Amino acid sequence: MRIRPAIIGVAWILLTTLGAGTARATDPAPVPGAKDRCGVCGMFVAKYPQWVASIRFADGTVVFFDGPKDMFRYLLDLGTFRPGATSGQAAAVFVTDYYSTRPIDGRTAFYVAGSDVMGPMGAELVPTADRSHAETLLKDHGGERVVGFGEVTVELVKP
Amino acid sequence: MRRHLKILEFALSALWRRRFKNLAIVVVYGFTIAVLASILLMTDAMRGEAEQILIGAPDLVVQRVAAGRHDLIPVDYAEEIRGLPGVGEVSPRYWGYYFDAFTESNFTFVGIDDGPPYELELLEGRLPSAPSECAVGEGVARARSTGVGHELTLISHDGLGVIFDVVGEFQASSSILTNDLVVFRNADLVELFGIPEGRAVDLSVEVFNDGEVSTVAAKVKRIFPDTRPITRSEILRTYDAVFSWRSGMLLTVFAAALAAFCILAWDKATGISAEERREIGVLKALGWSTRDVLELKFWEGAAISLTSFLLGLIAALVHIFLLGASLLAPVIQGWSVLFPEFRFTPSITVYQLFVLGFLTVVPYVASTVAPSWKAAVTDPEEVMRG
Repeated sequence: MRIRPAIIGVAWILLTTLGAGTARATDPAPVPGAKDRCGVCGMFVAKYPQWVASIRFADGTVVFFDGPKDMFRYLLDLGTFRPGATSGQAAAVFVTDYYSTRPIDGRTAFYVAGSDVMGPMGAELVPTADRSHAETLLKDHGGERVVGFGEVTVELVKP
Repeated sequence: MRRHLKILEFALSALWRRRFKNLAIVVVYGFTIAVLASILLMTDAMRGEAEQILIGAPDLVVQRVAAGRHDLIPVDYAEEIRGLPGVGEVSPRYWGYYFDAFTESNFTFVGIDDGPPYELELLEGRLPSAPSECAVGEGVARARSTGVGHELTLISHDGLGVIFDVVGEFQASSSILTNDLVVFRNADLVELFGIPEGRAVDLSVEVFNDGEVSTVAAKVKRIFPDTRPITRSEILRTYDAVFSWRSGMLLTVFAAALAAFCILAWDKATGISAEERREIGVLKALGWSTRDVLELKFWEGAAISLTSFLLGLIAALVHIFLLGASLLAPVIQGWSVLFPEFRFTPSITVYQLFVLGFLTVVPYVASTVAPSWKAAVTDPEEVMRG
């Protein structure tokens, strides 16, 4: 009977990667519709195109957020928001670059914490496409520090 | 239902019995509404025109200032501004005002590179694409009696006559935008105005994030202390302030007329003539209830108000959109004396009608019904005795 969880696990992986696995990291960023709400706070996201963030899971489902902070709260606490899912199932993460207002890969972006730039939910982790831009933003808007995707902690995104 | 119609009929014939007095009220009332509606419609039309202009306005305009005076900006400034984070396209603009000695009016000349500068509709023809071609606005075409297929002669910076072929004529949804406009290719305009090599009139800067415009403006000012960056919101505020100030000034002047109307309404509200009082008494004696009397007075008030309202509104619409606001325009536009004549784009919204109605009809009806109620609730015998 010990084998059973393993079998289920393998079946799950096969199902998600082969069966319904239509999502790839290279797909273009999803665009929120008027009715799409933030996966954490429930606010409509289409009203804040300069802040939209999204996660596309391996099974093709997309969750939108009204800012990177809510996205990190979701990702760092998947057990609450999406029981049963693991962070490995997030096929693609998109955030909106502060300077170009275009979607960029959230995993390679640099985030500025503690700046005076306010998002729809107040203080934000402001995403930028590269480190030099992040440093500029830090200087222009009185930020505290620049963090990469992997360095974001629960303390940093406390509401 | 029949009862209501009978009362309405009685009300109308009662109005007819005192037709000259009521006609006088309608004239004064209608005039007040016409003036109020003219100001409201005109301010709104002007603001609409200004918003049309701003649709195509760049996020940030960078001018060069020499001792506080506007000066031509070196085109190389664009390179450095383009390097700032968050900045998209930076393009030099060539434009200017031209005083036309033949017609004694001001034209606006705009140079284009490719594609129209704003969202403009061409009435006919196309935009200039070859040397010595231009497209003109309606007002310019009318003033200089030219059009597509004809020529436009202008005086260049060195005093020589230059002939351009008119290849297009504009029609924009907003006539203030294209009325006095002449569009050239940038190269032609540089030559006409004699702008030195490597200079432009100003730079238009595209900033992707609206929240970053003021930061970019501050940086430009720091890198080039001799420039003056102007953001779109500043332009918007200026337009808004100008129009609000002007319409506020008009309203102040008009306050006298409004006060006169208030006195008229107050007169109706406080005093009810002995004759009317007796009439109410007779009706009550004949068996009319208080409710019927009030309904009668309501119909009378409503008939007068609505007639005046419609007459006033029609007068205002004719004045603003058919006659080009000939009575108010000089005050509101101010600088338009040198401007080729232009017409407003007609527009009227439910909101405007509601504001007008609420300001005039409601107080009037209320002020006619209230005193009648006082007369109607007293004993008929007492009323008739006076």
